[in-house]
Amino acid sequence: MHHQYRLGIDAGGTFTDFILADRDGGVRIFKTLSTTQNPTQAIRNGLALIEEETGISPTTLVSNADLCINGTTVALNALITHTGAKTGLIATSGHEDSIEIRLGHKEDGYRYDPDYPPATMLVPRYLRCGVRERVLSSGSVHTPLNEDDVRAACRHFLAHDVKSVAISFVWSVLHPAHELRAAAIVREIMPGVQITIGSQLYPQVREYTRTSTAVVNAYLAPILGRYVAAVDAYFQDLGARQPVRYFQSNGGLALSAVVAEKPVYAINSGPASAPRAALYLGESYGLKDIITVDMGGTSFDITLTCGGEANIAKDIDFLRYRIGVPMIQVETLGAGGGSIGWIDAMGLLQMGPQSAGSVPGPACYGKGGDKPTTTDANLVLGYLNPGGLVGGRLPLDVEKARAAITTHLAAPLGISVEKAAYGMFTIVNNNMVNAIRRVSVERGYDPRDFVLNCAGGATGAHITALAREMGINRILVSKLASGLCAFGQIISDVRYNYMAPIAARLEGATTAKRLNDTFKQLEAQGHADLAADQFGPERISIRRSLDMRYVGQVHECTVNVDPFDIDEAALERLKAAFHGRHKELYTYAEPQSPVEVVNIESAVSGAMDRPARMTIAPGQGAHAALLGTRQMIFDASGVAQDTLVYEGARLGAGDVVMGPAVIQEVTTTIVLEPGWVAELDRHGVYVLILGQHVAQHNKALIPA
Amino acid sequence: MKRQNIDPITLSVVRGVLETAQREMTLTLEQTARSSVFNLAHDYSTALFNHTPEMILQGQDIPIHLGSLIPAMKAVAKFFGGDIHEGDLILHNDPAYGGSHIIDTCMYYPVFYQGELVFWTVCKGHLTDVGGPVPAGYNPNATEIYAEGLRIPPVKLWDRGFPRRDVMNLLLTNMRARRDQEGDFNALIGACQVGARALIGLMDKYGKLLVQDCIAELLDMAEAHMRKLIAAVPDGTYTGTAILEDAGHGFGDMEISATVTIRGDNCHIAIASPPQVPYFINSYEGNSHSGVYLGLMMFAQLPPPYNEGLYRCVSTDMGPPGTLCNARSPAPHMNSTTTPMETLTDAVRQAFEQAAPAKVSASWGHANGCNIAGWDKRHDEEYVTMVLASIISGAGATASQDGWHACGPECCFGALNSGDIEILEHSYPIIIHRYALMEDSGGAGKYRGGSGTVWEVEPLDGPMTLVTFGEGRRIPAMGAAGASSTLVAPKVGRLEIARGGKTQVITKNVVEKILPGERAANRNPGGGGYGNPFERPVAMVVEDVRNGLVSLDGARLDYGVIITDRTSLRVDEAATAKLRATA
Repeated sequence: MHHQYRLGIDAGGTFTDFILADRDGGVRIFKTLSTTQNPTQAIRNGLALIEEETGISPTTLVSNADLCINGTTVALNALITHTGAKTGLIATSGHEDSIEIRLGHKEDGYRYDPDYPPATMLVPRYLRCGVRERVLSSGSVHTPLNEDDVRAACRHFLAHDVKSVAISFVWSVLHPAHELRAAAIVREIMPGVQITIGSQLYPQVREYTRTSTAVVNAYLAPILGRYVAAVDAYFQDLGARQPVRYFQSNGGLALSAVVAEKPVYAINSGPASAPRAALYLGESYGLKDIITVDMGGTSFDITLTCGGEANIAKDIDFLRYRIGVPMIQVETLGAGGGSIGWIDAMGLLQMGPQSAGSVPGPACYGKGGDKPTTTDANLVLGYLNPGGLVGGRLPLDVEKARAAITTHLAAPLGISVEKAAYGMFTIVNNNMVNAIRRVSVERGYDPRDFVLNCAGGATGAHITALAREMGINRILVSKLASGLCAFGQIISDVRYNYMAPIAARLEGATTAKRLNDTFKQLEAQGHADLAADQFGPERISIRRSLDMRYVGQVHECTVNVDPFDIDEAALERLKAAFHGRHKELYTYAEPQSPVEVVNIESAVSGAMDRPARMTIAPGQGAHAALLGTRQMIFDASGVAQDTLVYEGARLGAGDVVMGPAVIQEVTTTIVLEPGWVAELDRHGVYVLILGQHVAQHNKALIPA
Repeated sequence: MKRQNIDPITLSVVRGVLETAQREMTLTLEQTARSSVFNLAHDYSTALFNHTPEMILQGQDIPIHLGSLIPAMKAVAKFFGGDIHEGDLILHNDPAYGGSHIIDTCMYYPVFYQGELVFWTVCKGHLTDVGGPVPAGYNPNATEIYAEGLRIPPVKLWDRGFPRRDVMNLLLTNMRARRDQEGDFNALIGACQVGARALIGLMDKYGKLLVQDCIAELLDMAEAHMRKLIAAVPDGTYTGTAILEDAGHGFGDMEISATVTIRGDNCHIAIASPPQVPYFINSYEGNSHSGVYLGLMMFAQLPPPYNEGLYRCVSTDMGPPGTLCNARSPAPHMNSTTTPMETLTDAVRQAFEQAAPAKVSASWGHANGCNIAGWDKRHDEEYVTMVLASIISGAGATASQDGWHACGPECCFGALNSGDIEILEHSYPIIIHRYALMEDSGGAGKYRGGSGTVWEVEPLDGPMTLVTFGEGRRIPAMGAAGASSTLVAPKVGRLEIARGGKTQVITKNVVEKILPGERAANRNPGGGGYGNPFERPVAMVVEDVRNGLVSLDGARLDYGVIITDRTSLRVDEAATAKLRATA
């Protein structure tokens, strides 16, 4: 009986989504307001809501669930609001300032802006203590650790009530002993303080990245530690059979002890489950190359999987802090339903990144907002139901939307309100297309080879237009689209990343052996960690990646490979993979040039059982779900046409809807532009195909 | 909207695609180039031109390159006249054809569509070496440009699609670290191709004519925008003057002045400078454009995108040929992108400060840095590079906030990236002992200038040649709105060499041999402050002292704040009030 349910909880900025899957293929979404001040409260509220709607008490639910999974924004919020712990940094003397120097760079886009502020320091300068010690690039010790300096730093920290300490030394990755000894001293003098060690958290070459990652981690560790302890305790009280799993930004689950120690792995976990969900939906059709777009109220997140693998980003600036550890690459754009349209100093129409948020919200919400937003445009274009969103619980005022667009955009530009609305729609789509290029074209992928997957409540209105702009002719839209990320979490695996620096030219038997041995060591550690969590070897899989470059280049290019024994001959395989990837990304390769590897990584995953797929009864034909017609605008002329509107809840498996049309689901609205055809499959996924491609894709796409 | 056939929506879309194309070019350069100057430091620029050729988009790269690509592109197109064909690729670095300095190499790729020249994709990047007697190009002993490296007038690297291997070989044979230079040429070529791909896609979608019309409109809109800003300034003539230090050349301090004349929505900027000198600080006209435009941007403070329309209402006169800011061949010039460009920028900035006092921010620290070269025993090969981490100075304060720390120099305006020290130590046989902010280096003001940095190096296992360049070692960054510093010494740059138990302070440009066991510390100046420093809130001064950015002496001398000791940070309120009242 205890395998009846699986529960996923994804805390977003505004809403906390609950996904409840049962073993018979039932999947339901529940939403409560997030409680940022007391994050566990939202979980209690959500379980109470589930009890109210289903009669299943929190105890029954949790004690009969095989897994409870939590995606949390606790760390993210602390980083956004700068409310982490008081943190001190112990660094190599002379290098205390690298996190403030930030490589001497100011972000692009603000070059001549006199008001753009420097990034807030998570560790102010007076809490950054240099100690005498130095390791060289060869790994040899130039100056031994001065332990008195470490003790002095500890006393200084105690005097300033520091709660968390990051230790990060130059070249510690090649000789961790100094950091480890310093940590021992800190532990002795400051018992109970949280300690983050750079070479253990992120054992890769690049001092600034490693120190910054360690500082972010130290800053978040106490607060996330308290959170997971509270959640663990709450679920234990409810009789949980398994420890709660937490979702990480690397797309995998982890135990509480791991995220408490390495919270930097959990800072952008929200959208990171999208690739997993996308692959799950695509599995029925053998699709592995998928771009997922997720539009919410204020932001638009894009993720990509190619060949069944998600794009991974390392060494990136996240909320203006350099983070090294691998994260699912999420391109985020300030483009959501609340994004405001405005005319810039040059006289050009722009959309966002300013957002009306949920208060006052779009003008059509009638809550006092008078700025024209994406949602207002979609309403004027006829895409949204004037009767309201979320099953009518949120009524919309068309006249307020028209007034806002007229006043701020149509009148100044001298065009009609309809044309202005279509313009807003076009520009927000175009912004999204440019952002999609950043995860595809800039990573060497042609978006036309991909399927588009729709996530988030606001995306459905844009999805066929986006596909048209990108030249994509197939789209997946799950009935669970508005909670797709929470769903992705409950079908994810446990995943940990293991890293090591190598810094060697890809030549000779010695290097081959060193690579081979290091990979084996990393993976042995992975096996041990997963074995401790009850994963047998048959459930464990490994993906390797190597950061390589031509000798003399400074940036590496990450190449993913399957595990194989690396001997001298196999080095050629690695080089060939690098040349190929370099050409994909940058239009050329230099096969004659020497190649070096800088860092290596193994991602070790423990497979979880999947819950059953959602099942939908066969339909009686789409006409049975027809609600009526509405005037809608589908091109720049601004001329409206009568368009059919269907109720998604009444469509069954195999039902086909021809565009132009709108399908209204309870938590999302799918707009089919002219030419698109949608078919609902038996697992609750709409497959959208551009008309001229229907015949050619029919066989491949619709499962027997 | 002057052009009836285009709608505001398509216009915004075209604008977005142009920016994306340029961004992808930049990314290609950043990720693939060899030279650390290039890929760590972002010392490169990418731009798109139309067929006329007018610059239709410049990236947010280094201001050094802001202006000079415009005359350079025109000079290159003029040189070849009608002899431009599909599949051509042109290389150039010569300042006589609008280039900045010869180590900045430009690649020009004509984009043809349906058999017709429509666009140019252009990029420019700082190589690690361009031949000549001194590694990395900065030869303080050069009295002529010929002694600085290889001058490359516009030359076809590809001819109708055929790579000129002979030409490429000629060039590379004359450069050190050939493999790195070749890799950087490949990166520049790759970037041009990436840009062309995006532009062709744009024309496939909207048609050539509509795209061209939209671009013409974007240029007009930028022009209108700049005219509006200029028109808001009262008509008149405003003059700014800045001093270029004698950095050891013996020609004495030099005065550069800028006269800005505003008439309605037009702006004329005239530069006056002394005669050119047989030392590498002469700026050819193309390079001087960059300084003038940077001074203008410090007033205009515009967000991107940037195109040539912005400058249509701005006319310039760099002074008579043969002067420092309008140099004539064969004047040596290698240092010109920083010196005298930053002084020239200061003069223009100061002229605008007279015109629009509330808008203009303080000057940033000038570049004074070093190049290093030697033999890398680890791989048995030579190394040579400019060290970007050695020129990271402080930013000037603005009317709304303190200057950014470690964000300069002025000529780069935060666009540089100094590179990770482990990557530098991995790439070159050096030990970087210090890369840190410096106490009291930010210029005093109600808003404080940003802190400069110190970069201290020791060669790992063999002698290293260290060549310094730049200035800003005696005169601190200029403040704005009445800011000035009393404690000047920590606010200027210098080179300190520790050998044999003694420290030698050097304020000139030199070529030094540094041995293992010896250390060279290059200090970079902080930025200028904004407003009267005695009006800086006492609590902010205390915070700066707590963070080691201002010393107790600095607090007293620069800010009139008496703090009794560093531990308690207690402020003697009475003494402070008295001291501040005397100012």
